[in-house]
Amino acid sequence: MEIFVVIGVIALLAIFIVAQYNRLVRLNISVDEAFAQIEVQLKRRADLIPNLVETVKGYATHEQATFDAVVAARAKATSATGVADVAAADGMLTQALRGLLAVAEAYPDLKASTNFLALQEELSTTENKVAFARQFYNDNVRALNEAVATIPSSLFAGLAKVSARPFYEVEDPQSREVPKVNF
Amino acid sequence: MTSNFRSAQGANKRKTYFLLAAMALLTWLVAYSALTYFGAGTTSFVLPLAVGIALVGVWGSYYGSDKLVLTMTGARVIKREDNPELFNLIEEVVIASGLPMPKVAIVQDSAPNAFATGRNPEHALIAFTTRILEVMDRDELQGVIAHEMSHVANRDTLVSAVAATTAGAIAILSDFLTRMMWFGGGRDRRDSNQNPLLLVVSLLIMILAPIAAMLLRSAISRRRESLADATAVSFTRNPAGLRRALETLAADSTVVRQRSNAVAHIWIESPLDGKSVSKLFSTHPPIEERIETLRAMESLGPQQ
Repeated sequence: MEIFVVIGVIALLAIFIVAQYNRLVRLNISVDEAFAQIEVQLKRRADLIPNLVETVKGYATHEQATFDAVVAARAKATSATGVADVAAADGMLTQALRGLLAVAEAYPDLKASTNFLALQEELSTTENKVAFARQFYNDNVRALNEAVATIPSSLFAGLAKVSARPFYEVEDPQSREVPKVNF
Repeated sequence: MTSNFRSAQGANKRKTYFLLAAMALLTWLVAYSALTYFGAGTTSFVLPLAVGIALVGVWGSYYGSDKLVLTMTGARVIKREDNPELFNLIEEVVIASGLPMPKVAIVQDSAPNAFATGRNPEHALIAFTTRILEVMDRDELQGVIAHEMSHVANRDTLVSAVAATTAGAIAILSDFLTRMMWFGGGRDRRDSNQNPLLLVVSLLIMILAPIAAMLLRSAISRRRESLADATAVSFTRNPAGLRRALETLAADSTVVRQRSNAVAHIWIESPLDGKSVSKLFSTHPPIEERIETLRAMESLGPQQ
C-alpha cells in the first residue's frame, strides 16, 4: 500500500517539475519569437525608406541634411544587433523619419502625389506594427521575468537555463524636442 | 468602477466561470427534479437524449462556424488586394495580439457593425459591414478590430457554444418532461408516497428552468462582450479608439438588415432593436455602460 503512495507522490512531483520547466522554456521561446517579429517589422520599415527618400527628393531638392540623417539612421538600424542596440537605432530612425515627414509638410505638390500618399500609409502602418511588436515583446518579457522572479517557477530557472531578459526600451520621441527644420 | 484593462479582464473571466458554474448547477437541478418527479427509469433515458440532441445541434454550428456564419450573414471573404488599408490595420492588431492572421470578410449592409467567429484562432474569421468601413477613422476601426480579435483570443465561439448547448439541453429536457406530464405517462413511482411539496417544486423547476437558462446565456454573452472590450485595450493600449467607435455605433440608429436572433450575439453592437429586448435578455451590455468603462480606462492615462 505504502509503495503506491510513494510512487504517486513521486509521479506528481515529476509532473510538477516538468510543467514548471516547460513553462519557463516556452516563455523564453516566445520572447525570442516576439523579438524576431520586431526585427521583421524594422526590416520592413528599412526597406520602405529608400523609396520614400527618392520620392521626397523629387520635390524637395534642398533638404540634403534631412536625407543624410535618414540614410545614416537607416544604415545604423540595419546593422544593429542585440536588444539595447536595436532599440537605440530604432529610436533614432523614428526620429529621423519624423524629420523627413515634417519636411514633406512644406511641399504641397509632394503631399498631393499619389506615390507619396501610398508610401505614407505604408509607413504609418509599419510604424504601428513596429510599436505593437515592441509592446508584444515587452509583454512577453514581463511574463518571463515574472516567472523567473517568483516562486515556484523561480526555483527551476537555473535548471531550464532561463534568466530574466531585457525590456525593449525606446526613448519616447514625442517627448523629445521637435527636430529643427530650416525652410 | 475605475479599473484598468488587466483587472477588468480578470473580473470578467471570473464572472464567466461563475455563470458557467450556475449553468451546470441549473442542469443538475433540472435532472434532479426529473428524477424526483418521474423516477430513475425515465430520467436516465430522457437526460442523455436531451443533452445528445443539443450537442449535435450546437456542435455542427460550432465546428463549421466560420463557414456557417458566412452563409447566414451573406458575408464575402476578401483578399489583401481588395482592401490593403483594412488589412494593414488587421495586421497591426494581429502583431499586438500574437494571434494568427484571421480570414477577413465584408457584409454588404448599410448599418455599421462587425463580428468575429471561428472555432479556434486558426480558423478565425472577422467580418465588417461596408458601412462601418466608411464611417470610422483609423483609430476607431483599430479599436473595433481589436474587439473582434479579442473574441478570437478569448475563444468566445467556444464559450457561447458551451452556453448554447447547456441552455439547449435544458430547454429540450423541460419540453420533454412537461409534455410527458400532460400525457400522464412516464412516472415510474406514481403511487409512492413522496412529499407533495417536493413534487411541486420539481415541477416549477422544470417549467422555469428554460427561462433561467436563457437569462444565464445572455448574461454570459454580456460578460464576454465586456471582456472583449478590456482585451481590446490590452492589444491597442488605446481605449479612446474603441470608445469613439462605440459612440459612433450608438449614434447610428440603423440596424443590420437581417435580424436573426441566432447570430445576434456575434456582432460588436447588438443588431436587435434595443427597446424590444429587456436588459436581462440582451446579449450585449448597454453601450453607454461600455463607453463609460472605456472612458474610465482613458482617465488612467497611458498604460503599460
